[in-house]
Amino acid sequence: MEPLIQGTAIAPAERRMIAPAGAGNGLQAGEARAIVEVRDLRKIFRRKKPAADSSGWWHRLPITRRVSEEFVAVDTVSFDIHEGEIFGLLGPNGAGKTTTIRMLCTLLEPTSGTARINGYDVVKQSDAVRQNLGAVLTGERSIYWKLTGRENLSYFAALYHLPPDVAKRRVRELLERLELATRADEYVERYSSGMKQRIAIAKALLANPPVLLLDEPTIGLDPQSARTLRALISEIKDEGRTILLTTHYMEEADQLCDRIGIVDAGRIIALDTPANLKRSITQLDIVQLDVEGFDPALMGALQGLPTVQHALARYDEDGGAWSVTLQTTDSRAVLPAVIERVGRSATIRNVNIAQPTLEDVFISLTGKGLRD
Amino acid sequence: MTETHLSRRSPRSHLRAVLAIARKDWLHFVRYPLNAVFRVVQPIMFLTPIYFLGRSFATPRGNTGFSAYAGTTDFMSFVLVGALLSNYVSAVFWGMGFSLKTEMDSGVLESNWLLPVPRPLFLIGQTMASLAITTLTGAGVLLLSWLLFGFRITGNLLPAVLVLVPMLVALYGFGFAFAGLVFLLRDANTLVDVSDYLVSLLSGSQFPVQVLPRYLLPVALAIPLTYGYDAVRGYLLGTRTLFPLDAELAILLVSMVLMVGLGYTIFRLVERHCRQLGTIGKH
Amino acid sequence: MMVRRTQSSGLARRSAASHLAALLAIARKEWIIFRRYPSWVMAFVIWPLLYPVGYIFSARALGGPHGSGLTVFNRLTGTSDYLSYIVVGSTMYMWLNFTLWDVGLHLRNEQMRGTLESNWLCPVWRISIMLGSSITKMLIGLFVLAVTFVEFRLVFGVSVVRGNPGLIALILLLVSASIYGIGLAFGSLVLRFQEANALVFLVRGLFMGFCGITYPLQILPSWMQGVAAVLPLTYAIHSIRAVTLSGASLAQIAPDLQWLAGFALVLPMLGYLAFAATERRARRTGSLGHY
Repeated sequence: MEPLIQGTAIAPAERRMIAPAGAGNGLQAGEARAIVEVRDLRKIFRRKKPAADSSGWWHRLPITRRVSEEFVAVDTVSFDIHEGEIFGLLGPNGAGKTTTIRMLCTLLEPTSGTARINGYDVVKQSDAVRQNLGAVLTGERSIYWKLTGRENLSYFAALYHLPPDVAKRRVRELLERLELATRADEYVERYSSGMKQRIAIAKALLANPPVLLLDEPTIGLDPQSARTLRALISEIKDEGRTILLTTHYMEEADQLCDRIGIVDAGRIIALDTPANLKRSITQLDIVQLDVEGFDPALMGALQGLPTVQHALARYDEDGGAWSVTLQTTDSRAVLPAVIERVGRSATIRNVNIAQPTLEDVFISLTGKGLRD
Repeated sequence: MTETHLSRRSPRSHLRAVLAIARKDWLHFVRYPLNAVFRVVQPIMFLTPIYFLGRSFATPRGNTGFSAYAGTTDFMSFVLVGALLSNYVSAVFWGMGFSLKTEMDSGVLESNWLLPVPRPLFLIGQTMASLAITTLTGAGVLLLSWLLFGFRITGNLLPAVLVLVPMLVALYGFGFAFAGLVFLLRDANTLVDVSDYLVSLLSGSQFPVQVLPRYLLPVALAIPLTYGYDAVRGYLLGTRTLFPLDAELAILLVSMVLMVGLGYTIFRLVERHCRQLGTIGKH
Repeated sequence: MMVRRTQSSGLARRSAASHLAALLAIARKEWIIFRRYPSWVMAFVIWPLLYPVGYIFSARALGGPHGSGLTVFNRLTGTSDYLSYIVVGSTMYMWLNFTLWDVGLHLRNEQMRGTLESNWLCPVWRISIMLGSSITKMLIGLFVLAVTFVEFRLVFGVSVVRGNPGLIALILLLVSASIYGIGLAFGSLVLRFQEANALVFLVRGLFMGFCGITYPLQILPSWMQGVAAVLPLTYAIHSIRAVTLSGASLAQIAPDLQWLAGFALVLPMLGYLAFAATERRARRTGSLGHY
């Protein structure tokens, strides 16, 4: 894979130190440099609680709200990201992924703890951090819709302090590379969602940063665009860049990331390669049933069956049926009881003994689904 | 640590950044042509009842009653100068006022704040664009007014323009602070509307401040803008001013320094507030 | 082939009473929404007082420190009480403005909020949707009017409203019908063209410039007087001034009343026609749910 700019990509000698994607082994400490270092990062929000609905409207004014409550969004998080890897933060909405990434971007100040990007402290050396960082946070809303793609990139290039000749060249290269050259002179408001996302990524890559932060990059995209985007993210990693991405899509984390931190309620509850994480729950069988007319009240009974560790039910609107997942240490023993209980009041369309996925790892750790 | 990025900071690169910001605002202005027309025609619309009000008091020698207060019988020229300056006041209250909030609502603010650019620079770039745009629309208003209502300058243009400089710098300095305030409020429309109107009113955009009731006159005299309106009219139309012209110029210079300091300080405080609490999910 | 009609098991029972109940429900909804936005209340108490202040002080300046400029004004208008003269005009204009914004933009606001479609799905006369909200807004508008006059009494010590209250009520009633018709037509246009700002601006400009809110009509060039003659607000302002400032009788304002009555008949009809046409078109193109 050719580096994007001659002479400015990470040198081949350095790159050899980085383990290739999908090696399946966790990196040994000291083998590759930690380009992102996070130590005991904490973020607490203090919110004034709104008064109960029954009180008069004057209680809802900011100055008269009485009760103050603390909300711990990120609870002492520590991790390293090694140069050249794709590191994922996987977790449900509200787990603290976005807050963490905002602290690394210098948009949010941590309550305590430190973080360093390429050696620069995010609080004390924020300008240097921003020079070393490209980020795509709000996706298609992060660019100007009334400007053309080219105008957007020229604008941001100037604000990245790129010398004019470098800026011009960079804009041209990125438009080509991201297949936006033919529509570069149209207003962004006319682009498709996928194209808008690509312009946002081009903007993040303008200054050739070593580190890229992506917050839920494929959210809201149709499956085809999401696939294209994931391929692009892989390519960017192959250029030698380091990527931190947050997502609540299990398949995305599994497919793209070299290592994953599973996040819930502001904490990292597991951190390893996808393969290792899945291997950690092989003692569990995953029983999955497709059921029509399932009564969620049965969940308590199912959870109480012997050998069942966790039980989860989700309604699939497309198929019009329920998907019931059970994690059990002995599927063979419990399966007849499950089929009998469920089949009493509903129609079982399909029974499956599945391979554990990352979501199963999450369920086994927290008892909840990723998309609850 | 190896620096592989392409960003090269220098004084020239900062200047380029400011110009890029101004250019971005300018492009947004020209791409909403209806809005541009609106900004020229709306002042004319508001001037029409005032024009006819003036006519219903006019003797063959002009507005003689008025001249006892202002020192000129040309009521409409007096009002027109006020309208042109009010154009800038509105641009600051509405344009600069909502500069942060609009960017945040559309999602671009964070994009901008991720860049290695000092954040006050954004306001400076927007100020430059606003000055250019408002001067342009003001020229349009002036032209139309001259055609419809008649407009006569009896004094000097150059000193009037020079006196504008500290007044505008002070005004836009205030705009920095106001932008911070609007940003923090959930629904600022009424505040901006009423403030814009009151400030223009009390600083004498439509009438000499001497006609205000006794309890309001101190308020008018405490607003630095009042001396801006007064001095520009003094130079352009030869009207009677509240204080000697060089005293008024001194007041404007002092207010310029104060307002810029205040604006910068408040903006920095708001910025720090955002760093503590984040900018999303507030509304 | 005979088609058997299934007995409706739904709970909806349509009747005149249910239509009226629906109307009142809509009115009540509007009131609740209005009440939850405190800033609007501020605007309706403060703006009616603030708006004419600029004109009033300008007039004071024009009159001169010894009222020397007032002789011309008196000759043209028949009064030296420029304050009351201006307040009548500006208040009527603000009332129109307010009605235009709220009644006229109501449909567009609902479309943007997304509630237009859900409202139109209900088996209610379409016009009830407009009527229901308009009742609330008219009442609020009248309240604003009353508040304004009280404020001027308190702040300036001038009783703006003198003269026969019955005549004033008659004038207000007639002009309400006209304004409602304009609002209806306006709302339909806005929904059709989706460009509210330009239309609001046009209409406001027309009424602000031509209706004599701060000046007597004789001062206008003849072509502008011609335009003023076809605007209902002109007659409303003129007749209210006559009644409150000069104590005019029914006979004296009869010509104005004739015009107002004519407008009160024609404009609501035009408004309804515009509304019906827009509704037909919306059903045809499916644009109710568009942003």
